Amino acid sequence: MSSFKEFLAVYAENWADWGPQIYAAIWVTIELTIVAFAIAVVLGLLLALGKLSPLRAIRAFSTGYIEVARGVPALAILFLLYFGLVPLGIVFDAFAAGAIGLGMSAAGYIAEVFRAGIEAIHKGQREAALAVGMTPVKTFRYIILPQAMRVILPPLLNMVIILLKDTSICSLISTEELMLRAKDLAMMSFLPMHLFLLAGVIYFLLAWPLSLITRRVETIMQRGRRQTFKVN
Amino acid sequence: MGAFFQQLIDLGGPLLLGAGTTVAITLASLLVAIVLGLLLALIRLLGITPLNWIIAAYVEVFRNTPVLAQVFIIYFSLPYLGLSIDPFPAAVIGLGLNGGAVLCEIFRAGLNAIHHGQREAALAVGMTPWMSLRYIMLPQTWRITLPPLGNYAIALLKDTAVVSAIAAPEIMFWARNLVTSTFQTTFVYILAALLYFCLSFPLARLVERFERRQRAWQ
Repeated sequence: MSSFKEFLAVYAENWADWGPQIYAAIWVTIELTIVAFAIAVVLGLLLALGKLSPLRAIRAFSTGYIEVARGVPALAILFLLYFGLVPLGIVFDAFAAGAIGLGMSAAGYIAEVFRAGIEAIHKGQREAALAVGMTPVKTFRYIILPQAMRVILPPLLNMVIILLKDTSICSLISTEELMLRAKDLAMMSFLPMHLFLLAGVIYFLLAWPLSLITRRVETIMQRGRRQTFKVN
Repeated sequence: MGAFFQQLIDLGGPLLLGAGTTVAITLASLLVAIVLGLLLALIRLLGITPLNWIIAAYVEVFRNTPVLAQVFIIYFSLPYLGLSIDPFPAAVIGLGLNGGAVLCEIFRAGLNAIHHGQREAALAVGMTPWMSLRYIMLPQTWRITLPPLGNYAIALLKDTAVVSAIAAPEIMFWARNLVTSTFQTTFVYILAALLYFCLSFPLARLVERFERRQRAWQ
């Protein structure tokens, strides 16, 4: 027990030094997650619509992109963006490369999520909306998307958690986020156990509430579906 | 053209070597994850409250923290406790423990999806609990869990890239080394990405087949 107290005392001793750096790094991690998620949602939605497009070239491109994005590790995409494009004269800073890379990687999954959601809507819904004179855009915006959200929302929230955890690999391209800060401080203080555990605890405190919310949303959405089933 | 192929051979060789390690890490971690996940899922079936709490806590912690943090803790922090560990086993333990948490949930969902009448019928015809598990429950669970298990295997294959951070000699590790020695940055990283794609694409097609077959059963 005393050794456990000693273990904790190290945090108290160093907190004046570590605290502000860790706080700043947490914000970068959160920003990185939000920007990457925004990129992934926009790109994913475009890809999902592309995969359902009547034009064959667009369909082929979307399918190809989704397959590649899902088949290649996010880390490989990050390295390619951050280091691999420099000889071609394209230079991203570490934050931009991290956010774009994670977003591009996640877009492949999100596209499949959107597609599954859209395809889950009975085609009669679309036909009815068009029949009453709605434009295709209005049909999508007011009829398809709101109903598809029920299928889409839980995996979308899940993606936020996955992205939050995946931001840690941006430390390998030197994005100044939580993992990199923890690693740097660990090297300087020779206290890897303390710092990596601290990083782990912080990631957990960020991700766990999101997990609980996601599970809650999942049950609510399922409850809704059962009711619709009964009404029909 | 000849120079291009020479370069392809020079750079592709070490990367292929790395691909071997990537496959080895993936298979070893998958094995650890399946054994651990199945074991934990079965223990949860026993319904012993304190054990359930411990397993639930394990699952929550490992599913809500980055793999990279888990691997770092195992690799950099264990020497603290007087245990030194090589990158390869550290990677397998880290990815395996992480996968155990994921697969525990998948197996649990699979076991729960089987109607309880199956087990009751098996016991009623005189099977021991072990026999009912072995011959009635697990074969049906296996069928249900195969597609998500396959998806997990693909995710795991891609996650092995992060263990380059602890210098496990897999694809990304070799790619980084080659870049420092040859400066062929673009070419090497594209080759590395291509290699991962060649490994994961057939797996993805296989999982798709599992999924189609499962829909046919239902």
